[in-house]
Amino acid sequence: MSSRPCLLAIFLAVLFLLGGVVHAFVNEAISLALEAATPYVEQGFEVREDNWSGEVEPGKPLLIRHQLFRGNEYWFWAGTSWPGATIKIDIFDSEGNSVGLESFAKDSFAGVRALPQKTATYFIRVVASYEKKGKGLTKAERGANDPVDGVGEFPGVLDWGVVYGYR
Amino acid sequence: MIEMPPSLFPAVRRALVVAFLAVPGWSGAQDAGTAAAPERIDLSNFPGEFVDKVVVPIPAEIFAVLDKLDEPDWNSGIQLPEENDRGGERSILALTFGSLVAEGFISVQAKNPEEIEKIGKRVLELAESLGLASAVRPHSLSIIEASKNRDWGKVRDELDATQQTVRTTMEKLRDDELSELVSLGGWLRGTNVVTEFIANAYSEDKAELLNQPGLISHFRETLAKMRGLAAGSPAIRAIATGLARLEAIIAEPGELAEEDIKQLRDISRGMLEEFYFEKPAEAK
Repeated sequence: MSSRPCLLAIFLAVLFLLGGVVHAFVNEAISLALEAATPYVEQGFEVREDNWSGEVEPGKPLLIRHQLFRGNEYWFWAGTSWPGATIKIDIFDSEGNSVGLESFAKDSFAGVRALPQKTATYFIRVVASYEKKGKGLTKAERGANDPVDGVGEFPGVLDWGVVYGYR
Repeated sequence: MIEMPPSLFPAVRRALVVAFLAVPGWSGAQDAGTAAAPERIDLSNFPGEFVDKVVVPIPAEIFAVLDKLDEPDWNSGIQLPEENDRGGERSILALTFGSLVAEGFISVQAKNPEEIEKIGKRVLELAESLGLASAVRPHSLSIIEASKNRDWGKVRDELDATQQTVRTTMEKLRDDELSELVSLGGWLRGTNVVTEFIANAYSEDKAELLNQPGLISHFRETLAKMRGLAAGSPAIRAIATGLARLEAIIAEPGELAEEDIKQLRDISRGMLEEFYFEKPAEAK
């Protein structure tokens, strides 16, 4: 094998690995949130294409501002893809009062429903958490089969994603 | 012990999500393994991080409420302007793109496949001018096909996806300003048609739908941060002034009165005449 195809193969392999890591870190959280939304689509909720996502330190609450309209019913769904991480989502009015009518939270995904009493800006609080460290992790939770140094270790931040639907 | 390849984990977790939500009797009315939400949080001293990104509601969200409160004649709200050449200024194209998509949402409410088809084609032409035709073409074709099948939910989804694809592509090209202008154009057209309907059959419940000071403030900040030639263009300056006028009316304490709604309608119309509607002869 000549050196050029070999270098190309290495480059493509690195690109593939990096691409995989970035993709998993950014899109998988949204993907999980959308999966959580799936059963509600059958109930008539229209899920928006636009969404919120990013990375956050475990346990640090995030607050999203969002305009809601009285007369619509909303569900907000959140996801995080890091193995072993959990996520919660709540909703508050502009006074800081909880307005979530029902909610669920199960490991890597969560949801909250609201029926706004007035048309206004509301605040969606998202908290992604991760307790386990080091040896407490199973191989699965490390997210990889110990491939190379640094890959599969907890990076110190969690991915998160939020989508919403209305009807 | 059987070990799964790591690549299977996302798929397995997704399957667990669906399985969890599909459990009989699961109503979602409980928290599973987490503390209940606090009854109240202090927004003025929030111990975390505010997310900068603003997701602008699509016109269909407000249209859905209007449909529950009233049954507007949505066909009378469709006002697809004649194709006019306002030059190739990208900021104007981006605003127009947003407004065209909003026109599509109006046409979906009206269940008017002919107008939707026209809009689907115009959306694609505009995308070509913006250099985004390849990204938009599949959506444009889906919009037209779904409208022929009278699958209105699908048309709405595709219109939302079209706008999102264009915005995401612009952001990837580091054209965040243009992306925001797409949202502004859509919001403005949606707001204008809503004010028209409410002005024609006023009620306080309907007027409350215009209580959107946070969004107006967001758009004003967006325009204030704009740099380059577009920032100084007469159209952008006029729109910025219009937003300030809208904000002044909406920020007033108390309910929005019928006269306020008429002002919002006229101001938003004037703003749209900067890039979308033809200006009245005497204003040219």
